[in-house]
Amino acid sequence: MKKILSVLTILFTFSFTSHSYSKTEIHWWYGNSGFLGDVIIEIANRFNASQDEYTVIPTGKGSYEDNMAATIAAFRAGDQPHYSQVYDAGAAIMVAQVKNGVVIGFEDMAEKYGIKVDADNYIPGIKNFYADSDGKMIGVPFNSSTCLMYANMDILKEVGIESVPKTYEEFEAMAPKIKAAGYIPLVQSHSPWIWTENFFSRHNLLMTDGNNGYDAVPTKTLFAETDAFVYHWKKVKEWYEKGLYAYKGRAWGDNQAPFIAGEAAFWFGSAASFGGMKGVVPNFTVNHIPYWDSVTGGKEYPTFIGGAANWILNGHTEEEYKGLAKFIEFMGSPEMDLYYHNMTGYSAVTKGGIELAETINFYRASPYHKAVGEQLSLEGSTIPGGYRAGNWPQIREVIYENVEPMLNGKISIEKGLKNMDKGAAKLLKQFAKTL
Amino acid sequence: MKKVQFKSNYSQYFFLAPQLGILLIFLYWPIIQTFRDAFTMQDAFGFGRQFVWFDNFLFIFDDPAYFIAFKFTIIYSFVITLVTGAIGLLLAVNANNVMHGKSAYKTLLIWPYAIAPAVVGVMANYFFSERFGLLYHLFNDLWGFNWYESVFDSYIYLIIAGSWKQISANFIFFLAGLQAIQKSVIEASIIDCKSSFRRFWTITFPLLMPTTFFLIIINITYAFFDTFGIIDTTTIGAPSGETRTLVYKAYMDGFRGLDLGSAGAQSIMMMLIVLVITIFQFRYIEGKIHYN
Repeated sequence: MKKILSVLTILFTFSFTSHSYSKTEIHWWYGNSGFLGDVIIEIANRFNASQDEYTVIPTGKGSYEDNMAATIAAFRAGDQPHYSQVYDAGAAIMVAQVKNGVVIGFEDMAEKYGIKVDADNYIPGIKNFYADSDGKMIGVPFNSSTCLMYANMDILKEVGIESVPKTYEEFEAMAPKIKAAGYIPLVQSHSPWIWTENFFSRHNLLMTDGNNGYDAVPTKTLFAETDAFVYHWKKVKEWYEKGLYAYKGRAWGDNQAPFIAGEAAFWFGSAASFGGMKGVVPNFTVNHIPYWDSVTGGKEYPTFIGGAANWILNGHTEEEYKGLAKFIEFMGSPEMDLYYHNMTGYSAVTKGGIELAETINFYRASPYHKAVGEQLSLEGSTIPGGYRAGNWPQIREVIYENVEPMLNGKISIEKGLKNMDKGAAKLLKQFAKTL
Repeated sequence: MKKVQFKSNYSQYFFLAPQLGILLIFLYWPIIQTFRDAFTMQDAFGFGRQFVWFDNFLFIFDDPAYFIAFKFTIIYSFVITLVTGAIGLLLAVNANNVMHGKSAYKTLLIWPYAIAPAVVGVMANYFFSERFGLLYHLFNDLWGFNWYESVFDSYIYLIIAGSWKQISANFIFFLAGLQAIQKSVIEASIIDCKSSFRRFWTITFPLLMPTTFFLIIINITYAFFDTFGIIDTTTIGAPSGETRTLVYKAYMDGFRGLDLGSAGAQSIMMMLIVLVITIFQFRYIEGKIHYN
């Protein structure tokens, strides 16, 4: 009897305490892991500590792909989170879901719940990437990176190179020297992202028809018919054969490893990569990604935004959305934006965050952080600041599949790029049918 | 013996219900859903669903990557079956002849069976890593092994990774099979024939046929369906999608590519393939096996 009583007491206490602490819960799913995941948890903790009406519960679902799949599965089961992080390649899918009532656009949300950070608070390049074709913001910009060039300055010094290359022509000229000294001149971690999507943005070229999908649903990619792109891959193959560029398989980390080990002079990766490199690689710099001088005529164009945005999912109560609105406001504050920028290396996404960084002379203290914002804010581009192409995760697979045989000479560059176009056209057609 | 008979006409259904419920929910309902997906097209979130007849099937037949996956699956399941069966049998025969420390050998050889395929993949990753992989460097010295460029080398990588764990399964069943053979038969054969090699192939192995047949089915099923975790943690299909099994491809298209129509069609194709293999096995192989 005594036992039963004590159990009852415990149960009662628990129900009582949990009741007295019951706040409105807001679920936030994300697709980062390791250090980046920890920062996300910290953001939620800070928000939870800042007020006591709402509590944000962050849940990591693995990679971006995993989180997107989990979010979709949850939605189909009627159990979706309020807020979910979906990456760049999934943006077209998410934007298309506004009309089905899956996603609530950020601007609609801001208007309805009076979020103080409005669309204009976000820096233009980032804002447009997650907007619909009318320029209305749908996704809430979050971790925004782009591809950048990391350089091992010790290697460059050893072989007598003073400055990092701005163009691929400069790289080509200095690479043999680096190789002669026993180093790998170049590695890069993501052929579809860095050397396909961002090749086009960096050179102000359209990647798909329909104005990159902003004006019309795209039906084909323009890989093989873009001379500069064919030229680029021919050069890549030439470098590969001469040992000026090394390919280490598809895994991001395997390609980054030679740079971390101090064996490679240059590595193309993400703006958010430097966190893991600080203190590991002794003397490195973060720079803009090179471009072909011969293609742009000496002009430098911005790259697309990589990374992810957070998307508001439909199907919850007013009260919960009020809390979410508060949370979005909290994350959009200059302090939080700069905190995230500083911790991760992702770009600051709000004007306020950038102003704050300037005010406190942040970039003088940490020059690593500068390149990403600079490269994204370059002006003069005549193409849209992103691409709206469905089935893009699969199109990236098609690109990957053809890069390997192109490099090892199983198929020619022209044939490889044609294969990519063919595979992509099929997938784009498939996607168009579901719209 | 007293015969037990239920009085009610309904109580049997009551007792059957949980099992039937499980079957319906976890087996038949997903199959129905798969058929629905395979013949319709929908967006990632399930909107705009429309009936498209065989479009999804035509789509996969028009996809060279599908046939590459098909080829790989066939080669892979054949080699895995052969390699794991042969090594498992060799180990079982030898462990069966051991006099001292028999159970220690047995336990050690059975262990790997308890490891999940994804974990096997992660471990294989270490052996085949370009930076610190023991096997990578051994093979690289021998013939310039490089699994992310050479299809042949990536096959070797996956065959080693995929076989290791399955050898244990083969070992257990072969050992049990060996121990089930009557001592008297073996003793009689020793009197008749001096060569232990010949004795094995003419007496022991035929008596093991039921086990072998069972293991062939188990191994093929393993290579078809369970190697998913290994591939996902090792080659991810590299080079250029050459090392994707049909299951892995369906997963990639369905959950990464979010194209459930194509994934559904691929699942149905897989059902047909397994059906054909199974019919073939029971028709043509089982007839040649003596169970007594």
